[in-house]
Amino acid sequence: MDQLEPYIACIAGAFALYLLLRPGRSGIKVLGTLVGLGTLAWLVAIIHESVPGEVDVVREILFLLFGAITLSAAVRMITHGRPVYSALYFVMVVLSSAGLLLLLEAEFMAFALIIVYAGAILITYMFVLMLAQQASDAEHVEDSPIYDRVSREPGAAVVVGLILAGTLVSSTLVGLKELPPPVLDTVQLHRQGELLEQLPKQFKAAVLEADPSFEWPPVADDNGRLLLWDRSGPYVLAYVDASSPRQVHIDLKHLPSNTQHVGWTLVAEFPASLEVAGVILLLAMFGAVVLARRQIEHGEDELRRHVGLEPLHGDDEDAGGAA
Amino acid sequence: MTYLLASEFSQLSLGHFIVLSALLFTVGFVGFLSRRNLIVMFLCTELMFQAAAIAFVAFGRYWFDFTGQVFVIFILTIAAAEAALALALVVLLHRRRGSLNADDWKELCD
Repeated sequence: MDQLEPYIACIAGAFALYLLLRPGRSGIKVLGTLVGLGTLAWLVAIIHESVPGEVDVVREILFLLFGAITLSAAVRMITHGRPVYSALYFVMVVLSSAGLLLLLEAEFMAFALIIVYAGAILITYMFVLMLAQQASDAEHVEDSPIYDRVSREPGAAVVVGLILAGTLVSSTLVGLKELPPPVLDTVQLHRQGELLEQLPKQFKAAVLEADPSFEWPPVADDNGRLLLWDRSGPYVLAYVDASSPRQVHIDLKHLPSNTQHVGWTLVAEFPASLEVAGVILLLAMFGAVVLARRQIEHGEDELRRHVGLEPLHGDDEDAGGAA
Repeated sequence: MTYLLASEFSQLSLGHFIVLSALLFTVGFVGFLSRRNLIVMFLCTELMFQAAAIAFVAFGRYWFDFTGQVFVIFILTIAAAEAALALALVVLLHRRRGSLNADDWKELCD
């Protein structure tokens, strides 16, 4: 990757964003859209060059596709004049970034993101938007209030964003060179195997599928491990008679899935945080109810009269005050 | 479902996801600074959460460590709590002034 290219692309993108954000005639917006799309194509080309060696074409195309959709929907979200459409474009960002998470093999998080974000949080936003704003005709952006159509200081905001993007991109490019290499294949497999040992039902099913006559449980080795590894994959040991151990190889497809890994990590390593998250949600619910409740002040006399008691301060005075 | 091995996976490297998440974060940040509608400003913070989530999962995949994904679950929690509270506040503010313009509440910073 050429050293300067990403930064020039960032500047071009910032220019496009400025054109889209500033109020103006539709010609300028079209120009901004074109510059933005051009920048996006340039970024795609830069990324394409930077993919090293043997390339899995499908994965790369999927990454570029989802990345382009995510970024352009995000830009459209912050430039659209109508908040309801901004929210809808945010749903698009969520969907395409769920696609990115699928590429990262995080299935559970991808679908949780769609369900929780697009399904729950965004619906709340839409409710509030529709409660708070008069529905106006979708075709006429001019009908929406002035503060939706005119951005506040788009130039300054874009400059700040450009500095932020430059810092983040340069620190990424510099920092990634210093980063240790990714996890070794063997370490990755061993970690999956360690989790499989903790899941007795699945472990037993895997072993019994490999050898139905296996006598559960398997024998541990000297380090206390049940699942052992050699060149051809994971195996468990069984003693047919006292002298000769026998190896039963199990298939890799029985290793735990992403959801099992996430669940195990969540419950085994962060149980207290999980409880705290529950408390946070509960308190947020209380807070929202208390805040959004319509508060009506009742005088004490009014309340007493309501339940049929004699007012403390006398009827005449209060009736006069009410009138 | 079996995982790709790290050696097969690294063809699509960590850097791409991190740069994408940086750009997404920046777009959210610019939106937060330049939009004037309270609700859209909160939507932009959600966009920044989304960028952080992608970075977490990408790093987690790089080291085959699931703490990253667990953190995304907590991000979801915080985003939900934040949405509930912030939207309640916005409804309250809207009831007072009848508009969602953030500039209407300028005097709060004086």
